[in-house]
Amino acid sequence: MSDPTLPATIDTRPRSLSGDAWDDLRHSKIFWVSSGLALLILLMAFFPTLFTSANPADCTLSRQYAGPSGGALFGFDYQGCDVFARTIHGAGNSLWVGLLATLLAGVIGLFFGMAAGYFGGAVDAILSRGIDIVLGIPFLLGAVVFSGRLSGAGDDGVTAVTLTLGLLTWTSAARVMRSSVVAAKGQDYVAAARMLGASPARLMFRHILPNAFAPFIVVMALLLGANIAAEATLSFLGVGLKGDAISWGVQIAEAQKHARVAPAPLIWPSTFLAATVLAFIMLGDAVRDAFDPKLR
Amino acid sequence: MLGKRPWRMAAIAAAISLLVAGCGSGDSEDPTAAGNTVVIGISEPQHLLPTNATDSSSAQVLNSLFYPLVTFDAEKNPVEVAAEKISVAKGNRVWTIKLKPGFTFHNGEPVTAQNYIDAWNYGAYKPNAQGGGYFFDRIAGYADLNPLDPDGDGPEKAAEPTTNKMSGLKKIDDLTFQVTLSAPFASFKSVIAYSVFFPLPKAAFSSDGVIAKGFEENLIGNGPFKMKGSWVHDDKIVVEKYADFKGVVPKVDGVTWKIYGDQMAAYADLVDNNLDVQTTIPTDALANAPADLGERFQKSENSVFEFIGFPTFLPQYKNPNVRKAISMAINREEIASQIFLGSRTAAKSFVSPVVSGYRENSCGEPCEYNPTKARELYQQNGGPKEIKITYNVDGGHKSWVDATCNQIRASLQVNCIGEQEPKFAVMQDKLQKHQDIGLIRLGWIMDYPLMENYLNPLYGTNGGSNYYGWSSAAFDTLVKEGSKAATPEASIKKWQEAEDILAEEMPVIPLRYGQNVYGYSERVTNVEVDLFSRVNLYELETLA
Repeated sequence: MSDPTLPATIDTRPRSLSGDAWDDLRHSKIFWVSSGLALLILLMAFFPTLFTSANPADCTLSRQYAGPSGGALFGFDYQGCDVFARTIHGAGNSLWVGLLATLLAGVIGLFFGMAAGYFGGAVDAILSRGIDIVLGIPFLLGAVVFSGRLSGAGDDGVTAVTLTLGLLTWTSAARVMRSSVVAAKGQDYVAAARMLGASPARLMFRHILPNAFAPFIVVMALLLGANIAAEATLSFLGVGLKGDAISWGVQIAEAQKHARVAPAPLIWPSTFLAATVLAFIMLGDAVRDAFDPKLR
Repeated sequence: MLGKRPWRMAAIAAAISLLVAGCGSGDSEDPTAAGNTVVIGISEPQHLLPTNATDSSSAQVLNSLFYPLVTFDAEKNPVEVAAEKISVAKGNRVWTIKLKPGFTFHNGEPVTAQNYIDAWNYGAYKPNAQGGGYFFDRIAGYADLNPLDPDGDGPEKAAEPTTNKMSGLKKIDDLTFQVTLSAPFASFKSVIAYSVFFPLPKAAFSSDGVIAKGFEENLIGNGPFKMKGSWVHDDKIVVEKYADFKGVVPKVDGVTWKIYGDQMAAYADLVDNNLDVQTTIPTDALANAPADLGERFQKSENSVFEFIGFPTFLPQYKNPNVRKAISMAINREEIASQIFLGSRTAAKSFVSPVVSGYRENSCGEPCEYNPTKARELYQQNGGPKEIKITYNVDGGHKSWVDATCNQIRASLQVNCIGEQEPKFAVMQDKLQKHQDIGLIRLGWIMDYPLMENYLNPLYGTNGGSNYYGWSSAAFDTLVKEGSKAATPEASIKKWQEAEDILAEEMPVIPLRYGQNVYGYSERVTNVEVDLFSRVNLYELETLA
């Protein structure tokens, strides 16, 4: 006979922060909408040919500003290029730069944050002041200067923009990492592991990192959205992607000169850019809400 | 705290994009013209000393401060202005220039023959490194002031000039001087209309052959307007009527030359009536100009010739048939109408229609768009798999280079990319080192309205702007014979034969002729922009 005061089935799985968060997320509409959108954009970036068979470099002046026809859903731009094909293919560069820059920022942030949080003392003081200094660089000014310096003549600017964004945006990741490491370091299980003779590296990577990782992932998702927007901004300002590189920023910069005559080539990449940034930031927000115990 | 920063960054990025997009409509209150004066937009002049000033902005300003020896009538024939009579003897070698009496500089000094001789000697003297110095090279004795470097760019230095006076310049009396040329040149009278040949007052020199400090900022000329205050760099140059001027008196009392770094900002001022004349409406504003300005948006002919040069020192471009094939792959008319909205016209000759001797379509078949034939010819002659067009990114060339590349890609079925260099000087440098920079975008504005000016500097073996290493003895001979010919008609005949050699060899691809596309405010009328893209200040009037 079972005890009537207990529910018929008891969830016997071990409770963890990520398990709770997943339960939360499953019921969040924002999470599903934004991750659906993000997935669609990733698909677009890595398999553009699923969406369009047109060659984005196939431009003919005779089609300048022509309306939508056949596969060219969004019509044609100033150079007579298929706006739809260029927008789809533009996702690749925009996302690729955003992903790489975020990854770079993440690696730097993870390393510095963890070192600062774990060792504390002088190491923490030096690294934290370093973070403060980088935070003190005005983002756009720094980006314009670095990106202009790093890109050589003739290259398409992808490396320069990735490096610039990565080097300027790792600070928030480092700070988050540092504070979660500080919090985790004081936990009993860490003390237990230390008493059992675990090396600092083992402590850091096997015990502290997994528990400090969730907030870090959230920062990464938010940063990805911001970096995609920043790439477009730099390309728009003429210090980002160059030459024959296709990206939303380049497209917007080109189209805005002729926006009074033909607004469509400006509106479409702008819409895609806005939707992408929104998707990643919303996703990050939803995940953060799920992980933040205070918001429960 | 968490995640706050990325949000903010995205917001800043968006705000900046909006700001930048909207900044074309920058406003400026000063210097709205008052009374019978006008405001004309220019770029910052590179130099204002006449012998050093070769850009179009400085030409505009100098044209208000100085009175030229000759100017051109409607048929582009030179007519005397500051000169009373220019006569020639000894088979076009010895020219006698007699000045009109009674003219004074703005400081009261009378204008004499010596003022011209001093200015020209200063300009030609090599150590002064004047940008317009080469204009004097037809005058006898120029070589003594400019000894040749024995080994080109090599380590050996050229000898110091032995004199700073050209032997070909001789003063006859206060108002007359004689110019002896090193070789006969029938059209020398046309050459001296250029601003490089303006006189300089005694006050310009602190000692013999040395320009006084600060003279360039406070020029003293012999023209209808004098400086009011100094040249305020990157801001403005104000000139006002010179009361004792004895020539044709302009109808306006003064001009403010307003200096713009961004021509789109100048255009916004024009639309708001804060600027009276803009001589070149930027390409990006062309689509809106007819609606914004209506009747006040005008076009007139100018001398601009745009083309693409082949680095003929590279093996893949040695074959003239490859060069012809690439030329035939380009649809000039389409780019002129779609990209430049009719502000340029398709070029199918090597000289501009503004000079006598121009023949329509002297280039013939190689300049006609024919994608099928182009591809056949290209494949038969084994043209390169990839074509690169290098351009300077500061000149607004991206749109048409992209369009040209798209056409080449479609016609020839080879890859074509536009390569950017930050400045023209970087391209020049790479060309000099014979690096593979692919095809190069080039342009030419004439210095004097003669067909020869489109030939010798661009394709002559030692031409000052022959960047592509093309050289032909037959071409050089024909150009020289033309310059020596007794009559302008005979000259033109020889020059046309030289042009025919270009059509066979295609060292460059002619693309377009320019036009002045200018606009003016509601305050002014009778606005004319001449062949050299200068506003005609003698006709310009304000509406009361």
